[in-house]
Amino acid sequence: MAKPTDLVQGTLDLLILKTIAVEPKHGWAIAKRIQQVSRDALQVQQGSLYPALHRLEQQAWIKAEWRPAETGRMAKFYSLTRSGRKQMEKELANWVRLSAAINVVVQEV
Amino acid sequence: MRWLDKVRLRFRSLFRRPKIDVELEAELRFHLDQLVEENMASGMPPEEAHRAARRVIGGVAQWEEECRDMRRVNFVEDLAQDLRYTLRSLAKSPGFTVVVVATLALGIGANTAIFTVVHGVLLRPLDYPKPDQLMYLTAESPATAGAQYPLSAPEYLEFRQMNRSFATVGAYSTGGAAYTTGEVNLTAGDRPLRVRSISVDAQLLKALRIQPQHGRLFSDEETTRWTGTLPPPVAILSHELWRTAFGGQPLVGRTVEIEGRPHEIAGVMPPGADVMDNHTQIWLPLWIHPNGVQARGFHSLYIVARLKDGVNLDAARTELNAFVENWGERAGAKGHVPTNRPLRAADHTLQLRALQDATVGNATRPIWVLQAAVGFVLLIVCANLANLVMARAGSRRREFVLRTALGARRGRLLRQSVTESAVMSGAGGVLGLWLAGVVVRAIIRAYPASVPRMSELTVDLPILLVGFVLSAGTAVLFGLVSLPRGRTSSVAAALKEGAKCAGGAWRHHARRGLLAAQVAFAVMLVVGAGLLARTVYNLTKVDAGFERSRLVTFSMTLPMASSDPDTRAQAYQRVLDGIRAVPGVTGAAAMSGLPPNRNLEGIDTAIEHYTSGDGRPSEIVDYYQFVMGDYFGTMGIPIVAGRGFERSGYASQGKSAIVNETLAKRIWKGLNPIGRRVRPPGGVFGATGDGWHTVVGVAKDVRQRGVERPAGTELYFSLDQHGVSPPTMNVVMRTTMPPAALSGTIERVVREVDAAVPIVRLRDMDSVFAESIRRPRLLAQLLGAFAGLAMLLAAIGTYGVLSYMVTERRREIGVRVALGATPSRVIAQFMKQGLQVTALGAAIGLAGALAVNRLIASLLFGVHPADTATIASVIAVVLAVSAAASWVPAWRASRVDPNVVLRNE
Repeated sequence: MAKPTDLVQGTLDLLILKTIAVEPKHGWAIAKRIQQVSRDALQVQQGSLYPALHRLEQQAWIKAEWRPAETGRMAKFYSLTRSGRKQMEKELANWVRLSAAINVVVQEV
Repeated sequence: MRWLDKVRLRFRSLFRRPKIDVELEAELRFHLDQLVEENMASGMPPEEAHRAARRVIGGVAQWEEECRDMRRVNFVEDLAQDLRYTLRSLAKSPGFTVVVVATLALGIGANTAIFTVVHGVLLRPLDYPKPDQLMYLTAESPATAGAQYPLSAPEYLEFRQMNRSFATVGAYSTGGAAYTTGEVNLTAGDRPLRVRSISVDAQLLKALRIQPQHGRLFSDEETTRWTGTLPPPVAILSHELWRTAFGGQPLVGRTVEIEGRPHEIAGVMPPGADVMDNHTQIWLPLWIHPNGVQARGFHSLYIVARLKDGVNLDAARTELNAFVENWGERAGAKGHVPTNRPLRAADHTLQLRALQDATVGNATRPIWVLQAAVGFVLLIVCANLANLVMARAGSRRREFVLRTALGARRGRLLRQSVTESAVMSGAGGVLGLWLAGVVVRAIIRAYPASVPRMSELTVDLPILLVGFVLSAGTAVLFGLVSLPRGRTSSVAAALKEGAKCAGGAWRHHARRGLLAAQVAFAVMLVVGAGLLARTVYNLTKVDAGFERSRLVTFSMTLPMASSDPDTRAQAYQRVLDGIRAVPGVTGAAAMSGLPPNRNLEGIDTAIEHYTSGDGRPSEIVDYYQFVMGDYFGTMGIPIVAGRGFERSGYASQGKSAIVNETLAKRIWKGLNPIGRRVRPPGGVFGATGDGWHTVVGVAKDVRQRGVERPAGTELYFSLDQHGVSPPTMNVVMRTTMPPAALSGTIERVVREVDAAVPIVRLRDMDSVFAESIRRPRLLAQLLGAFAGLAMLLAAIGTYGVLSYMVTERRREIGVRVALGATPSRVIAQFMKQGLQVTALGAAIGLAGALAVNRLIASLLFGVHPADTATIASVIAVVLAVSAAASWVPAWRASRVDPNVVLRNE
């Protein structure tokens, strides 16, 4: 298996926001979900995930609450705030534009 | 309201810290447990699963820290932590802390104190509305070697009429036209006071835009348009005199006695009101005597003028220069008008300057010199502390490396260093400001009138700002140098080597470079201080032209209103007779001007059979000296040709005069002056006085206006011959007794003549001389203090660097001693190190001193800026100090016991 690609700088925020957009998740679930959806292509290092979560929370884009996880143990669940949703839309649009542009360039050459 | 949420979150992060930490830990533990579970689910045994999970996660502490960083309040928390840590670590090395803080306090204190002077004297605008519009007009001529002197009344009136640049032009006088000597007797209650006076016209007060605190100012009718034969009897008190002498009682409209005449108090000035740093206590009306309006040769008025809005100094100067082109034609006068023809001896021109520059005058350069000197001291302080802190950083390298290994980032370490230096700089700054206040107050107390505007000095906001900037600047500097330059890649190596390898070539050179710089700056300061010390010494040794030892002098003024010229002369004769009768007094005389602190007079004097350079039959004479009694004998002034004044037989011989050598040379150019005749202008002294006077003798030159200035031209007249006297005279007596022992007797003698007249400034001639050189002495003392401080710091620096070098190289020394090096060789080795750096620094410092000493050339007297003797002795002193500072560590190096050192390693 090829080594999982390092996340493109600045895309981690988008991935996190997108992942919790559907329903609140705790950190472990967010990491797992990203790995699963990308079919192991993207692996989020714990060392970057939690600082990112705290940063997003501090920006008031996501909020956290403690509630029981599937196993019954208490876990910290993150969910999007209203401004977080707006931020996600913005970053999504940015990403689409950027990746499209990169695609064009890459295919052209 | 996202920002509101953010604020709430920041507060929570800052103040709910324990709760957040617990949450963070729980969150991360949850993650870890999930990982372990997953591993077990894939079939690992529990222990293996735990190990694998931990491996994946790595340092939990590090993430926690990163998560905290994301909360963005670490700054405050770290600061508190840094402060706690700093205080602990500084308390652990009190010696280091005390040296750093004390050095900083001295550096910052000296700088703040001198900047207080720079700001208060040079930079702060004058206390008048729109002060930059105020200009000062004086006369200047080659005959007076660039000295500024007053204008004559006709020139003032003509200028006032002709100019278009000024909104208001006013005049003041402290002598001559004011009929005072800048001081008057004031009777407040039963006690006669001698107070400093100024005579101003209404226009001057208008130009300055002073508003009275109580009452009113003078009107035009009381000044310019006054037609009486004596000045109008009104006066304005300064706020300070009103408070001290009259207790701040309502006084306007009341009557006081000034010079024996009743005067009405018209008003009281606001606090601090003054002109040209005159320290005015009482303001009198200036009016121009009807005879004076035409007297072009009689210069006694200083002019202050306010520019019209929108006119600048250059425009006003251009206009003034245009007037000077044809002043005589405009004014309808032939002789003695301002002119800018190719300058000849008798010509004078007019100089326009900003009032602020004129007020500060020649104090500007010494003050900037002092500021530069303390700037050097601060640089030395910085270099010294940089070395000290660097040495400490070397020994703390292990600590820093360890912290890096434990995960501290470089920025975090830098912050810790900057915090430490900020704490020390802050302490040094606070102490320094306190020190500055003490020093400024001490200077003001010791030298109240040496520097203009000095009494107004305060440590105010701009000064505090400068002190703060100095502290903050030094803090950042030390923080930077104290950070070890080790890289994290070499952690293992650094830990192993420990404190031993603190150096490295860079550090070694930096340390010596900083030391050389300290020595260089110190040498520059010591050379400057040496030159000024020589200057003061030379000034005290100047031959002023008379025997200054065993002379006692005082001054007194007989009120003009209650006396006329001939009764005054009789009164002074009685005073002199009384003093001559005092046991221990061998001679007494009186004279109008007290050398060597007189003002330039510049009186146009007719000379028989003479044509001046510009074709006039007269010449400007710098000083008139009216004497009573045996002036030359009492003062010990040699008569080099002819004879002195004789007490008897005036009538038969006609009126006589005595000239000084300079005047004889300038006017008669080597011909015999005896028997030639001079004629002073009318009205100069008493009621009579004009008419031809025959020169009967030539006296040796006496320094009149400061001992450092060459003598000007001087004419002596004997008041005994004329039987008149000006109101104020200086009495001088030759005696072996100190002034204090004489004061009772003198008071009694004067009281018998006139009980209402106070004795002023009773002192010996040595004090008069000391006063005349007080400013160079103040400069030399301050510069000497700074140079001493610089030298001390450089010595401490040398000692510190060498001590450090010895500690660093103990092992090497041990090996050398084990191999047979004698103690004296070890001493020589280290002393050589110290002296080499000193020699380098001294060479650089000398080059610097030679380059900048031109700037203080104008402050020196009798010594060349590159004086070899001074420079040689400075080098000797610096080398001696450096040798002493190097010897102690070198000696310690020689005592290294190889057994101990080599075993310890």
